Amino acid sequence: MRIVVPVKQVARIDDDDALLEDGSGVDPDALEHELNEWDTFSVEAALQVAEEGDEVVVVTVGEREAEEALLTCLAQGADRGIRVWDQRLGDLDPLATARILAAAVERESPDLVLCGVQSSDGVNGATGVALAAHLKLARVAVVRKIERDGQGLVVDRELEGGLLESIRVPLPALLTVQTGINEPRYATLRAIKQAANKPLTVLDLDELGLDPEAVAGASGSRTRRHLKREAGEGAQMLSGSPDEVAGRIAEIIRESTR
Amino acid sequence: MKTREVMWDMPLGLQALWYLLVGVSILVFLYGVARPVAKYRRGRSEGLPQASELPRRIWAATKTLYSHASIKRRDSLAGWAHRGIFYGWVVLAIGTVIVALDHDVASPIFGFHFLHGDFYLGFKAALNVLGFALIAGLLLMMMRRAFLRPAKLDYARPDRKPGEPQFDRHVYRVGDWVFVGTLLVIACTGFLLEGVRMEMDHPGYSGFQFGGWLPAQVLSGFDLSQGALGGIRHSVWWFHGLLAIAFVASIPYTKAAHMLSSYASLILRDPTAGKRLPQIPAERAAEPAGYATLADFTVTHLLELDACTKCGKCHEVCPANATGRPLSPRDVILELREEANASMHEVGIGGVLGTLIGRDGDGALDQPVVGPDRVHAETIWACYQCNACVEICPVGIEQAPIINQIRRNLVEEGELDSNLQSTFQTIHKSGNSFGENERRRGRWTEELDFEVTDARTQPVDVLWFVGDYASFDPRSRRVTAALAGLMHEAGVDFGILFDGERNSGNDVRRAGEEGLFESLAEQNVETIDACEFNRIVTSDPHSLNTIRNEYSAFGGDWDVCHHTALLLELLDSKRLEIRRTSPHRVTYHDPCFLGRYNGGYDAPRQIIEALGCTLVEMPRNRDNSFCCGAGGGRIWIPDQPGQERPSENRIREAVGLGELDYFVVSCPKDVTMYEDAIKTSGHADDIELRELTELVRDAVHAPQTASLARE
Repeated sequence: MRIVVPVKQVARIDDDDALLEDGSGVDPDALEHELNEWDTFSVEAALQVAEEGDEVVVVTVGEREAEEALLTCLAQGADRGIRVWDQRLGDLDPLATARILAAAVERESPDLVLCGVQSSDGVNGATGVALAAHLKLARVAVVRKIERDGQGLVVDRELEGGLLESIRVPLPALLTVQTGINEPRYATLRAIKQAANKPLTVLDLDELGLDPEAVAGASGSRTRRHLKREAGEGAQMLSGSPDEVAGRIAEIIRESTR
Repeated sequence: MKTREVMWDMPLGLQALWYLLVGVSILVFLYGVARPVAKYRRGRSEGLPQASELPRRIWAATKTLYSHASIKRRDSLAGWAHRGIFYGWVVLAIGTVIVALDHDVASPIFGFHFLHGDFYLGFKAALNVLGFALIAGLLLMMMRRAFLRPAKLDYARPDRKPGEPQFDRHVYRVGDWVFVGTLLVIACTGFLLEGVRMEMDHPGYSGFQFGGWLPAQVLSGFDLSQGALGGIRHSVWWFHGLLAIAFVASIPYTKAAHMLSSYASLILRDPTAGKRLPQIPAERAAEPAGYATLADFTVTHLLELDACTKCGKCHEVCPANATGRPLSPRDVILELREEANASMHEVGIGGVLGTLIGRDGDGALDQPVVGPDRVHAETIWACYQCNACVEICPVGIEQAPIINQIRRNLVEEGELDSNLQSTFQTIHKSGNSFGENERRRGRWTEELDFEVTDARTQPVDVLWFVGDYASFDPRSRRVTAALAGLMHEAGVDFGILFDGERNSGNDVRRAGEEGLFESLAEQNVETIDACEFNRIVTSDPHSLNTIRNEYSAFGGDWDVCHHTALLLELLDSKRLEIRRTSPHRVTYHDPCFLGRYNGGYDAPRQIIEALGCTLVEMPRNRDNSFCCGAGGGRIWIPDQPGQERPSENRIREAVGLGELDYFVVSCPKDVTMYEDAIKTSGHADDIELRELTELVRDAVHAPQTASLARE
């Protein structure tokens, strides 16, 4: 069985004034990069589903820096990595990313594709399900539990209100995995260094039989402007010693419950 | 003639039997020595000293042994008792060898006796004195075990529950008693034999053999015939002799083995144990790190397991054990020893001899060290790596470094606390444990009324390695600002690395993430190497230790000191002037990594004295300082609620000293730990925390009231 896990190197903003003046984006200096949190769970899920002889392949779309995310996955235990990038590519929305991923994943003819539910920077929750559509795979979203069952899988997916839905899924299939499904194993720095010896293929659009127009055509959205959320109105800032602040809060509560 | 007949009235057949038994005893002894040696050969030879170092090491170990320096430390009673036993045993053993040389070598081969006359009388007197020393030492030890019962000799394990197998290791207690009991019987029957001889022969120099005088007096009361006395003499001779050779044969198999293993361990001990943890050799870069099985142990560490005498000194000082956590360094060592010996037991005689001839082990030690019936993972994670155990161990065992090696493996196996795991990831991503963007590392300087030099762009005299806590923790940043102000005022030409500095990796390494430590050390060494400076000062004792002792392996060889040393220097040279002495009563807490690890005991105390404070020492001070609970990465692992924390235990110790103004510290992690512990232990009204720098600042910045008044 071959399990393909598409992953993303996400950006984390850790500065209050990270937005560029013109609203076109975020100051790259204010960003730190890391493997998308959801993907740490999907990689771990793949490693747990995989049995002797199975192969786990991680795929990402991104520039060279994104290989760090792949190395982390390889250090966790994935067998092989693929990075897709092409100089002709610009900003990609989830649908365009899914189009590229579809071409790369299809070459692997996987039995199972495991995506994270969403990425922590884009928060669209779209790439995984769009990829399933491109690949014409059965898909289950927001999965909390995966078990092998004969030739297929039995998975639990999360519903509102704490309900779970248990579904039998034939393979091949695509699942989007929710956080908390497992405890992602720790990739030590030594393992990350050693992971550099595992096979990592870099592909461009030509090798995938894609052209930039096709990718652009798959796109469904365009970012016009980034805005900073204004602080809500009516907020009252309390200052002073802890005693004073606590006293003031007690007063406010008393007034509002009167 | 002043001498004695060694085999008095013994038929040739019995003499032959005796020599046969002596031969068997020696063979059994030698096999007992071969067994552990075969075991050690299965270990890794890394870290073994060069052969050329051996004479110096043997001399140092012998000095330690003969002065009892490490045995008497913090326990003078045990020191005196052990001296009696040790010197008694050594001299009586030498005496026996002299008798054998005279009787079995000089006389049959060269035809002369030397054990007679005045030499014999001196020999007698010496053996009698030391025989009494031996008996006195043994009785002291027995009294200690039977009546004083120090807590450190209680073998109950904090890592096992009552009722679990091996909870109290009662077999060891029996072994201890058999050991001292056998020696006592051998010594007493020796004197009894002497007494019988005196009663039979009345040689007339009983003053030189006063040990035999008492039994001789008792015997004379019975008015026995020469024949009866002869019978007694034969029986006692055989009893004493057989017990003695049986004891010699049993040495390598019992508690007595420490005569060999502890001495060997003292010879091989690593003087930098704990301060400088071993690197992973390049040839094993691709193999799993640390100790997964006993076969991964170094020869020295395998030997150290056997060297443990169960004296309990480490058990007593361990902060984890003192606060009810499931760790005692003693029990880790003993558990590992039991595992190692159990697996060697399966090898049998053939395996032992085979290993001695060929080098290859056959996987006898290939058993995991961590498991439900073995050392527990929670035990390994309970350690603070404070090195108190290594410091006090009288025989040079490296408890903390062994625990660190096991941690390295647990980290690779993913068996680590999830908070610790995310801290590692945070440090990997951000370069600091706070998860702050490195651009904010130097932000504390913005609150100063002067510019701080960027040491990466300008040459400086002093390169200040600030450290994570002093850079990011709000409380410690006040101390950092005060130190910057003092250095500025004293005209120190200093600079910092701003966003070029990374977590020094001291605690990352001690938590077992060796790869992350390597990467942090490489980054820091590269950054520091590109700067021009004369020396490094750091606010953080943890960084002090790793930069001073461990960065040299990455090419960083610099003069590094702690800020307390710099402050003392500035005060001594009058570059900082104390304007107002502060007559406070204070106590001072030695940070593990400044004190025990790096010997920085005096500078902070001299500063406290110079400030005019009265220093009241806590019972556990200097090399016996009690860890605050932050070390070994434990600061990143949450404690179980409801458990006493070492920092609270320490505050109680300080409050117990009576009225005090300040609890003085000199480590940013101590600032965090003790600010918290003063509150959680309910002593917020009794004592306040001050970082030493703050006391200096207050004394230096005080308004010059006297001179103002004159104007």
